[in-house]
Amino acid sequence: MNESIVDIRGAKLFLRRDGAGEPLLFLHGVQGLPGWTEALSRLAERFAVIAPDHPGFGRSDAPDWIDDVSDLAFFYLDLLDRLANGRVHIVGHSLGGWIAMAMAIRSTAHFQSLTLIDSAGINIAGVPRGDMFIGAPPELGKLLFAGEAAASRWAAQWQASPELQESYDKNRAAAAKYTWQPRLYDPRLAKWLHRIDVPTHIVWGDADWLIPPAHGEALQQQIRGAQLTLLPGVGHLCDIEAPALLAETVGSFLAELQP
Amino acid sequence: MKVLFFHLMPYADLDLDYQAKYKTDWVILPNSYFDPKKGHALYNRYLDELELAAELGFDGISVNEHHQNAYGLMPSPVVMAAALARRVKTAKIAILGNAFGLRDNPLNLAEEHAMIDVLTGGRLISGMVRGIGAEYYSMGANPAFSHERFHEAHDLVVQAWTRPGPFAFEGKHYRFEYVNVWPRPYQQPHPPIWCPSLGSSETIDWASAKERRYVYIQNFSPVASVIRYLNLYRQTAERLHGYTASSEQIGWAAPIYLAASDEQARAEAKIHIERLFSKFLNLPFEMMFPPGYLSAGSLKGMRAVKRPATAGGSMTIDHLIDAGIFLCGSPDTVRKLLVDAHRKLGFQNFLANLHFATLPADLTENNLRLFAREVMPALQALSDKQWQGMETQAAE
Repeated sequence: MNESIVDIRGAKLFLRRDGAGEPLLFLHGVQGLPGWTEALSRLAERFAVIAPDHPGFGRSDAPDWIDDVSDLAFFYLDLLDRLANGRVHIVGHSLGGWIAMAMAIRSTAHFQSLTLIDSAGINIAGVPRGDMFIGAPPELGKLLFAGEAAASRWAAQWQASPELQESYDKNRAAAAKYTWQPRLYDPRLAKWLHRIDVPTHIVWGDADWLIPPAHGEALQQQIRGAQLTLLPGVGHLCDIEAPALLAETVGSFLAELQP
Repeated sequence: MKVLFFHLMPYADLDLDYQAKYKTDWVILPNSYFDPKKGHALYNRYLDELELAAELGFDGISVNEHHQNAYGLMPSPVVMAAALARRVKTAKIAILGNAFGLRDNPLNLAEEHAMIDVLTGGRLISGMVRGIGAEYYSMGANPAFSHERFHEAHDLVVQAWTRPGPFAFEGKHYRFEYVNVWPRPYQQPHPPIWCPSLGSSETIDWASAKERRYVYIQNFSPVASVIRYLNLYRQTAERLHGYTASSEQIGWAAPIYLAASDEQARAEAKIHIERLFSKFLNLPFEMMFPPGYLSAGSLKGMRAVKRPATAGGSMTIDHLIDAGIFLCGSPDTVRKLLVDAHRKLGFQNFLANLHFATLPADLTENNLRLFAREVMPALQALSDKQWQGMETQAAE
């Protein structure tokens, strides 16, 4: 796995890359990445994976001119203009899925496909989402995972080094900045989803208590031709809880697409 | 020294068994726990207590803002300040504070403060705070923009009070084509601005700046923190901003309970002061400090310190008294404590929180009267003549 830093309009963006094949940009979720995860590793067996830390997260800068998901979307479109030599599979998890949709409604010029995993971004009247900020760590674990083992494994990952402990706090502050209000969605996003014109796969843990699977069903109805796959017994952080299943589910959909 | 009576107006009729079902009385405790008929009686009792304080010769009476909780029933302290404005004839009315940046439109608050100031003929003290973390859950305000919005709301409000209107205000969070506040404040250039805080060097840097010189009040803190932060204010003014701060720029706010003897005071206050921390100011860490509310460095510091506000039931009266968070005893004991603290620190403002949690009306009235008769006159007589000065303290 290679680590590098790319400068986008004065902001340093930290990138992890590995694998060979068609390029795949992985946009991480609202909790950030505790390093190069098993899910990324497995995706890198089939694709040339690029996984940035979003601005404000992990080892990336926190530029004060990026305030919301709309800014992040344009920022990543700038990144694609810089990096992409042709089209890219865009895979967004949680906050990353929201960013990916916000990019796609603006321009899919660099998109080969769109994969949304337990994605934030829309609201469904009467379907509450969980609050990832208000609870103590054990309650957060219950919100983000179906099973306790995965929750403890994930909590331990963030304690592995002082740098990761600091990243954990930094990520939560960035997550608050982008998702606090309205919580985890943009009320204007849904009305532009008809603009998404690339093959779209929606993947959801059926035990996602943070963003319940009804959101996946609604997205499937609103994005033309989208397919929906539910992962049984898996929570919001399905990349941590079921990395092999997730990578296989994402990878096989992309493999069947015509180049 | 100026002495103010500070009221929190808690929901004293709270079902204290709420913790069997809910971990906190903030944000998530259903408002079915609030009985409007009991609330009616409490509001009127508390306003009577504030009016009594004014009659007893306090220099000011003070209200404050908290949202969606049982700890303080004043989501709008302006309403209570207005209710006091006509009957209270000479005492200052201090709103400590209002969270201007919590509002989507701080200009409304600028107008309301100006109204109170005009109505009272210039007796308003205007407190500006960010609001504690829990308010950001309750009001749907983004804690990551808390500092930016606090500063910008402050700039907007002070300009609205001082610049001839109409003018346009163009901020990042607040934008107005026409700022032209009617009425303008009675006090010129504007009502005094106070910054109550649980202890923040960032607030001190900002409040003590030469062009602001706002009054900094250290709240509900161990006496060691009071010493540290009040001295830090003077040092920051001297070293960072290049002027000597006056003692009128600093103050201390603390819960106080008095009775005829130390033993009696402890016995009467114990259950109520312990409930203040275990039942009313019962704030989990994640609610007190939501992500983005503190800088990374401050958050790290807060994790390391056990704070009264987030320590829950572990705050016993003995600990609270030993740490100097709670001033409790006979009038002689408490007077000596405060006069000693003044000799060391020289603060010229003191906020006495003479009601807390479930303290009943009769004990509250005794507390107010005893304090006003036996302690307050000695405090009001204190000036810089009784302060030992910074050098003496440094030499000790």
